[in-house]
Amino acid sequence: MSRFLFVVPPLVGHINPTVSVAAELAGRGHRVAWAGLPRFVEELAGPEAEVYPCEIPGLLERPTELRGAAALQFLWQEFFVPLADAMAPGVEQAVREFGPDVIVSDQQTLAGALVAERLGIPYVTSSTTSAEFSDALDGMPKIGEWVASLVAELRDRIGDPARTHDPRFSPDLVLAFTTPELAGDGAYGDEVRFVGPALTRRPAGDFPWQWLDEDRATVLVSLGTANTDVGARFLAECAAAVRERGRRVQAVIADPGGVLTAESDTDVLVLPHIPQLALLERASAVISHAGHNTVAESLWHGVPLVVAPIRDDQPLVAAQVTAAGAGVRVRFGRSGRRQIGAALDAVLEETQYREAARAIGASFRAAGGAAAAATQLEKFAVDRR
Amino acid sequence: MTSPATVDEEAVLAEIGGALRAVLDDLEFEDAPITRETRFVEDLDLESIDLVTLTSELRGRYGDRVDFPAWFASLELSEIIGLTVGQLADYIVGRLR
Repeated sequence: MSRFLFVVPPLVGHINPTVSVAAELAGRGHRVAWAGLPRFVEELAGPEAEVYPCEIPGLLERPTELRGAAALQFLWQEFFVPLADAMAPGVEQAVREFGPDVIVSDQQTLAGALVAERLGIPYVTSSTTSAEFSDALDGMPKIGEWVASLVAELRDRIGDPARTHDPRFSPDLVLAFTTPELAGDGAYGDEVRFVGPALTRRPAGDFPWQWLDEDRATVLVSLGTANTDVGARFLAECAAAVRERGRRVQAVIADPGGVLTAESDTDVLVLPHIPQLALLERASAVISHAGHNTVAESLWHGVPLVVAPIRDDQPLVAAQVTAAGAGVRVRFGRSGRRQIGAALDAVLEETQYREAARAIGASFRAAGGAAAAATQLEKFAVDRR
Repeated sequence: MTSPATVDEEAVLAEIGGALRAVLDDLEFEDAPITRETRFVEDLDLESIDLVTLTSELRGRYGDRVDFPAWFASLELSEIIGLTVGQLADYIVGRLR
């Protein structure tokens, strides 16, 4: 029996895979606990979860118009670094009380990695997005230097200043919740283990299944939950592109922010929430902002994508999708119904996109998901003893 | 494109416009006049992967005289944020002089 402490940020997409892995470990007789924001973890892992509370800074709302390098600057300056400083005492307290054999630290909670190295606890990186395996700062060395200096200062405060590696990548084991079929054939170190996405089943909720027309291709449109206010124009153009193809295509549009004033009809169904996983079993294409969860879930089901990345890791994930041949990119800020419609026609009519999506989906299932991750962690804990 | 003594900024802006048209392809380039104030990310929706195409477009126009990747790599974070066509034009004009 080993003891695993998961250190997680207050981000649903990052906690969910650890919930699946933790359940697998617990089922094999191990002890698991979390360090993070209790309300968040308990909501996803259940009220029985053992959670050691961490302080979370009063995070600034990021201005939605920030993109590119400006978004990256904000992310590091106003999110990663303050989050690490705030979480470090809680992580240390969790280590003292729970006594983990292994810390599993999310790539975005640097406190987990840095406190682990200072206290001499073996740590594993949990990498929940494929994007970290592309070099986002390629061609921009000054930005790389700036990030490295922030990390070095942080390490002086909460880590072991003698260490020099990038704490976002454990030198011993990195669990990558993707596969090289999507992330690309890079030069990966032996410490990187591809376990594929660990999808979490969610309660499906109500959906008017009779609305779906068997004789038309169903398209899902989703920009995730974080882009509701900037998506109005793009979603309206998607709806228009679908209406122009109403005889052969219909779309279910997720509109959590209620920005789309268009009435639903037989071509377009606008809902605040959609049962995405259930719908993916019936969908022929997905139009998405290229958030990693939506991309992974679409490809898992062999559904090709039209990707319109907005910021952060989305341009990298979108580039991985197009490089793998599983989708077509359009520009979120500029594309209208003509470009979106042309991209949609391509992924619906040209079979190579669907074939590529299915091949990635097959690689995901073969990678083993949460069970494979649990096996890697068990082995790591034994080897480190 | 021009003799060293008469580097014409307007001509450089036109070449940059042509290069950007190729990067973005004409389909997505309606209603977007390129001026000195046009910002690469905020106005044109350019992403880092587009820089590869922009590099080859500029090389096709200016050859080795303009080393876009080296210039871009020399920019600080604060300079990359809000980077404008005018800043690139100034660099190219400087290289052609």
